[in-house]
Amino acid sequence: MTATGTSAPTHRPATHRPAAPRPAAPRPVAPAARPVITGVGVLSAAGRGLAALTEAAAHGKAAFTEVARFDVSGRRTTQAALLPGTVPLASTFPLARAVLEAIGQAGRQAGLTAAEGAGMPVLLALHSDERTRATADAVAAGVRAHWGAPGVTRVYTGACVAAATAVADAAALVAAGRHERVLVAAGHLVEPGVFAVFDAGRALARDGELRPFSTGRTGTLLGDAAVAVLVESAPAAERRSAPALARLAGWGRAGDAHHVCRPEPDGAGVARAIEAALGRAGIAPEQVGYVNANGTGSDLADRAEATALRTVFGPHTEQLPVSSSKSVHGHALEASALLELAVTVGALESGLTPVNAGWLGPDPDVRLDLVLDGPHTARPDYALTLNSAFGGANTALLLAAA
Amino acid sequence: MTTPATAAPRVLAEARRPGPDLPGPPPPLPGFTPAGLAPLIADTADRCLRAHHGPPPAPGRTALLLASASGDLATARAIDRSAEPGHRPAPLLFFQSNPNAVLGHIAARWGLTGPVAAISPAEAVPGTVPVDAYELAALLLADGDADHVLVIAAEQGPDGDHAVAALLTGPVG
Repeated sequence: MTATGTSAPTHRPATHRPAAPRPAAPRPVAPAARPVITGVGVLSAAGRGLAALTEAAAHGKAAFTEVARFDVSGRRTTQAALLPGTVPLASTFPLARAVLEAIGQAGRQAGLTAAEGAGMPVLLALHSDERTRATADAVAAGVRAHWGAPGVTRVYTGACVAAATAVADAAALVAAGRHERVLVAAGHLVEPGVFAVFDAGRALARDGELRPFSTGRTGTLLGDAAVAVLVESAPAAERRSAPALARLAGWGRAGDAHHVCRPEPDGAGVARAIEAALGRAGIAPEQVGYVNANGTGSDLADRAEATALRTVFGPHTEQLPVSSSKSVHGHALEASALLELAVTVGALESGLTPVNAGWLGPDPDVRLDLVLDGPHTARPDYALTLNSAFGGANTALLLAAA
Repeated sequence: MTTPATAAPRVLAEARRPGPDLPGPPPPLPGFTPAGLAPLIADTADRCLRAHHGPPPAPGRTALLLASASGDLATARAIDRSAEPGHRPAPLLFFQSNPNAVLGHIAARWGLTGPVAAISPAEAVPGTVPVDAYELAALLLADGDADHVLVIAAEQGPDGDHAVAALLTGPVG
């Protein structure tokens, strides 16, 4: 996430305003090499599986509850979106086991066999702490035992764009013909240390509601998630008779070059990431029919993202449905981008547009066509999912209906 | 089916700490805890970029890639301790709660507008850029979202902190 700036540190902002070089337009991906998604697995506050998440997002059912996993009595905020009682955490390696369950869902949906999984890279997004390697090793043991994969190929720790970076890399590997399929997984469980410092940094919503792009928004709320997505080349999926759930039509990433944690106010980095994704897909902005925004509920970040959307989409912004499903499932940090990619796949498959919950009223600096009620039916050809993080990192993943 | 990896990138500049002429700790970095890796990462990145570009800013699109197997142990432990009874969480730890924060400092100082990424390789030799980081840098360059990649590998361990930075670009031809 990016910070609200309510208690920003004394880091110097940009001493050299970047000349904002426009990206050399990425080459459109050749149709034969275009990656598709053939499996999605998810555990979230909505429960087990993509259908539960899609239903919660489409109806705007916010899943925030009082945190009972650890003591929050001394915190300003006490709410988070936790896995429900129907999805109990394992007593040992809870995060790794949750991730492996999500991988199992994705693998089964894709009809993947251990023989097909042999040699398959596994890209895993996790928070960086003293438990990262043990979690990665446990996930590696699981994918070796059940899916034939050699292990965890790479662990991404780059905050709230970690999983989107992994997806972009998976897409690049498949599009370049380097691998037929790549498994991307991510996990985040709300835990006491990060909760404490996010609360101390005044990043969490004081009123216990995550209200992206709304007037009166006061911050974000954390959420649990374990997610897995199988990215595969379209010909390889066809040979296996594995139906594509969506096409991964484009991807882009760009930096703000602005600040340690605050977003660039004009959203220039977000805009460049979107333009790179559109360029790879070879489509015009007007062809995008839904945006799953980063929308953390932070004052500055939501405003910057809205500005970026208006910059890229121009007059089309008036008819472009936008929502942040974080308002339903919370902010899953390193897993957030994969959770929101899953939400977007669910929206394309079901035709149900995710709702921007928690809305109190318009913010005059936002001016987006927010999805404020549901269920709302739409069949967009293309849907975009955006993420931003500390360090001015921005990613855009563009999905196309299968 | 797999095909060979993309060609290896070219190294434009390197910097490391500690080194023969840089035995001591890096200068403090305002806003970051001195016990963490951020001051070392920022200093090593700065010297690498300066070796190639001179003073900031850096032209073109440069990606930032931080590789650390150990992670910032001192900061991670401080965050975990924040939740213990009797401890009051320090607001500044929020801004240091992930590896991207120091990358934002470097990007702002040098005007780096490429992708920002962080990885935790399975194996790392302190003072050496891991193979995993070279491979990801090559992928980033080949995929076209960056013209250069600044890779910084930083480790905390029992024999001290080590960092090496390498500024990479695509292979000739």
